[in-house]
Amino acid sequence: MPENTYEITYIVNNAISDDHIRNVIGRVAKLIEKGGGELIESDEWGAQRLAYPIAKKRTGHYVNAYFKAPGEAIARLERALSLEDDILRYLTLKMDAPMLRHYAKRKEEKAREEAEAASESAAEQEISQEQESPEEQKGPGEQKSPEEQASPDEPAESSPAPEEVQAEAPAASA
Amino acid sequence: MTEARVDLEQIEYVDYKDVEFLKRYLNEQGKIMPRRLTGTPQKFQRKLTRAVKRARHLAMLPFVADNVR
Repeated sequence: MPENTYEITYIVNNAISDDHIRNVIGRVAKLIEKGGGELIESDEWGAQRLAYPIAKKRTGHYVNAYFKAPGEAIARLERALSLEDDILRYLTLKMDAPMLRHYAKRKEEKAREEAEAASESAAEQEISQEQESPEEQKGPGEQKSPEEQASPDEPAESSPAPEEVQAEAPAASA
Repeated sequence: MTEARVDLEQIEYVDYKDVEFLKRYLNEQGKIMPRRLTGTPQKFQRKLTRAVKRARHLAMLPFVADNVR
C-alpha cells in the first residue's frame, strides 16, 4: 500500500469543555490510525481568534498534525470529519517534496531555537544560583558577560552646531 | 528590489500557517496584492495565492476585512 505524508489542520469548537475537546482530538487521532495511518507529530495551537465567524463562533481550538497514511484513507477521514459537529473546519494536504523539505527545515529551526532557549535558561539559572549564594562571596555578582557589554552603536553623526544668526552682530556693533 | 525578487524565486513552498508573512502581500481589505503592484515573481505569486486561500479557509485570514465599521 503506497503511503503518503499528510498534513492536517482542523478547528475544534472552542465553546465546549476542555474534556470534550480532548475527546474530539482523540477521536481524530483514532480515525487516522484506523485508516492505516501513523501520526508523526501533533501540535495544538490552542484557542485562536477566527478571522471571521464560523457557525457563530468567534474563536476555535486549532490542531495541526502530520501523519503517514495510504491515500484511500483520506476520503474516509474527511468524510468522518465532516460529520463531526464540533469540528468547524479542516484542511488535509498531501505533502509533496517541497512541502516535506519546508517541514524539515522548519522543524530544524524550531529545534535550534529551543536549544538556544534551553542554553539561555541554563545560563540564567547559573546566574540566579550565583545570586542565591551571596554568603560565599560578598562581591556584587553583576559581572557582565561580553555579549551584554556590546558597545552602544549610537549614530556617530553629530549634527553641526547651528550657525550663529549673523543679523544680530552688526546690530550689536552699531 | 531585484534582490528581493531573487529571494522570492528561491522560495519553494509558501506556508499557509505563516500568517504574518502572508499579510505582507494583502491590502488592508485583505485582498491579495496584484503582481503589477508588488512586482513579485509569477511563480511566487501562484504559491502565495494558494497559501492565502488555504489560510482563509481555516479562518486564519479574512475573506473580507472591512475596516470601516
